[in-house]
Amino acid sequence: MTKMKKRAGFPSPDLVRAVLKGHSGLGLAFAAILYLVCLTGAIAVFANEFQRWENPGAERMETISANAVQAAYRTAMDRADGPVEHVLIVMPSEDRPWPTLRVDAEDGTRTTWIADSAGRITGEIREGWTKFLTRLHINLHLPQSWGIFIVGLAGVALLSSLISGLLAHPRIFRDAFHLRLGGSRRLQGADLHNRIGVWALPFHLTASLTGALLGLSTVIIGAIGFAVFNGDTDKVYAIFVAPHPAEDARPAPPLDLRSLFSKVAERTSAQTSKRIDYLIVEHPMEQGAAALFEVEDGSSRLASADSYAFDRTGKLYYEHKAADNNVGQQILGSLGLLHFGWFGGGAIRIAYGLLGIGLAYLAAGGVNIWLARRRDKGQPAPGLERVWAATVWGQPLALTCAALAALFTSSVALLIWTWAAVSIALLGATALLPPAMLSRVGRAGTGLLLITVAAAHLVVMGTGDSVTLIVDGALGMIGLGLLATFGSQISVFRRTLKAA
Amino acid sequence: MVVILGGAVPGTWMLRRAWSLKAGKAPWRWAGLTLLSFSILWPAWLLGEARGPFIAVTLLSVAAFGVIASGYTLRPAKASRAAREGLAPEPAERAPSVWRTTLRWSLAGPIGMVAAVALGVSYAVWAPGEPQTRLLIGGLIVPVAWGGAMAWTLADSRILRATAVLVGTAIAGFGAAMLRGFA
Repeated sequence: MTKMKKRAGFPSPDLVRAVLKGHSGLGLAFAAILYLVCLTGAIAVFANEFQRWENPGAERMETISANAVQAAYRTAMDRADGPVEHVLIVMPSEDRPWPTLRVDAEDGTRTTWIADSAGRITGEIREGWTKFLTRLHINLHLPQSWGIFIVGLAGVALLSSLISGLLAHPRIFRDAFHLRLGGSRRLQGADLHNRIGVWALPFHLTASLTGALLGLSTVIIGAIGFAVFNGDTDKVYAIFVAPHPAEDARPAPPLDLRSLFSKVAERTSAQTSKRIDYLIVEHPMEQGAAALFEVEDGSSRLASADSYAFDRTGKLYYEHKAADNNVGQQILGSLGLLHFGWFGGGAIRIAYGLLGIGLAYLAAGGVNIWLARRRDKGQPAPGLERVWAATVWGQPLALTCAALAALFTSSVALLIWTWAAVSIALLGATALLPPAMLSRVGRAGTGLLLITVAAAHLVVMGTGDSVTLIVDGALGMIGLGLLATFGSQISVFRRTLKAA
Repeated sequence: MVVILGGAVPGTWMLRRAWSLKAGKAPWRWAGLTLLSFSILWPAWLLGEARGPFIAVTLLSVAAFGVIASGYTLRPAKASRAAREGLAPEPAERAPSVWRTTLRWSLAGPIGMVAAVALGVSYAVWAPGEPQTRLLIGGLIVPVAWGGAMAWTLADSRILRATAVLVGTAIAGFGAAMLRGFA
């Protein structure tokens, strides 16, 4: 009788072991940056809520008249020190119910103002925390192009880890619903890592793919420009953006927006639920001035903005309807929405926040599993265990300290220093404290500070906007939750001591 | 959204029921899969053909976690040593070699990136369709191809084969793109 050699199914044990080697190498190489990017991304989903939290006194409105926009725009321009290059006017929306006007001066300075419904400028926007948080997520506060590339690279590493994680998971169906808590920390960590990794895969793929594409866009456009346009990347950008008006730098009075608002209203009169999202005024003090209006067409499409561009004479020189978008334009218009979860209202933002925390846990838990495996094999890495505990619990603490500082300053630089100082202090504490203590310090510190931030915000900034109460309430609840886990750890510790 | 969750939670629960049964799994499995598929598809009609399914899969993930978390098992502390079952196998061991490690990470990093960009650019140049569509799909190919190259080169022990494939892809991709130009 000849013995038939049984063929190993796919993936073979050797392939699984080889892929696991690559998975853990890649995970370790990018763990810290992935954790930071995912954690800040999960919080940045609520950027609009945080902007409202920072500006609770701003007058809320559903719409604003063309006359009021014109008045605010003229005042904002008058307040600029030198010639104005662009003015970005973001109209009130459900998520952020007040208008802002960002004036970009020719000397590179940018100032963003908030206006009331009468078109009076009520003050400069407070956005230190929101800016600190979103820029940390987008470019890690590094020089723009390098920072964005590094975050894009992290997105690719995450995508690669998802691919290798799936290939290295032969028990994907057998363990599909296992969640074994307690007992072996390695098994508990592996169960959480694998369940979050598999069941939230659509979210992980969406966030990592869109993030990687956004991060690598400069490289990709540069490569296309180099390969087929003799290095001229402007030709690549020109395929996507509205054309610029004819250059005419002769001085002129500020562009009048009121008549342009009327023209947009005429063109969109058939659309019942249209809404002007924002408008950009280019070179408002030159003969070659122009204004581009982005108007939400009220459809259920993800990319639903119509574009209308007018020159100084009010002539429409560019028009594009979202309904005519080709696949590429639809993808382009959807990237940001899909990446940040801004496509389905508050419920989807909360879901994205939770799934984002899950993604951050994947990065943190992956390293914990690797450290536990080393310990199981009799090769513990106590130094790395301390550094990793300080990183994982240092970041929430450092971010919370930055949020607290943001109540008293609008300076993003000060927030960066606060965040960096606390991060470094926690890393420095690894010389003195064991991982469990670092975790407790980070957890209790973050919990206490979150409650402090919520209380201090109510005292310092007031309760002018109901969303700020929700944000403060959520921060307080998360703080209490962290303190509760800290308390339960203490009681377990005491019981263990008693038993000993 | 409540309706989507109303389909996702029982759908996942049915799959969990199929998973936990020793026999008679099929009806539960098919019922669960049908309910989940339906929960992803119908929002396309009501909430938008792209927006709807994205809302559905996002909520489905959250619902699945809810179902999994509700069925957790708590293991006693003394089970820690005996808990080998369910753990991933040990990663492969490789003999340490500086040049192989350097080449491997170069392939996963810069060389993989150049090869992936070459693939994306050549798609954008050669594929049919509107320029924006070709560029965006070409752009999406880049992170996917680079991520795939990373996963492959960090796992494959035949490193010279990976080098040849990636370098060949880069040369062929950029060469093809330059040959035609963007139209």
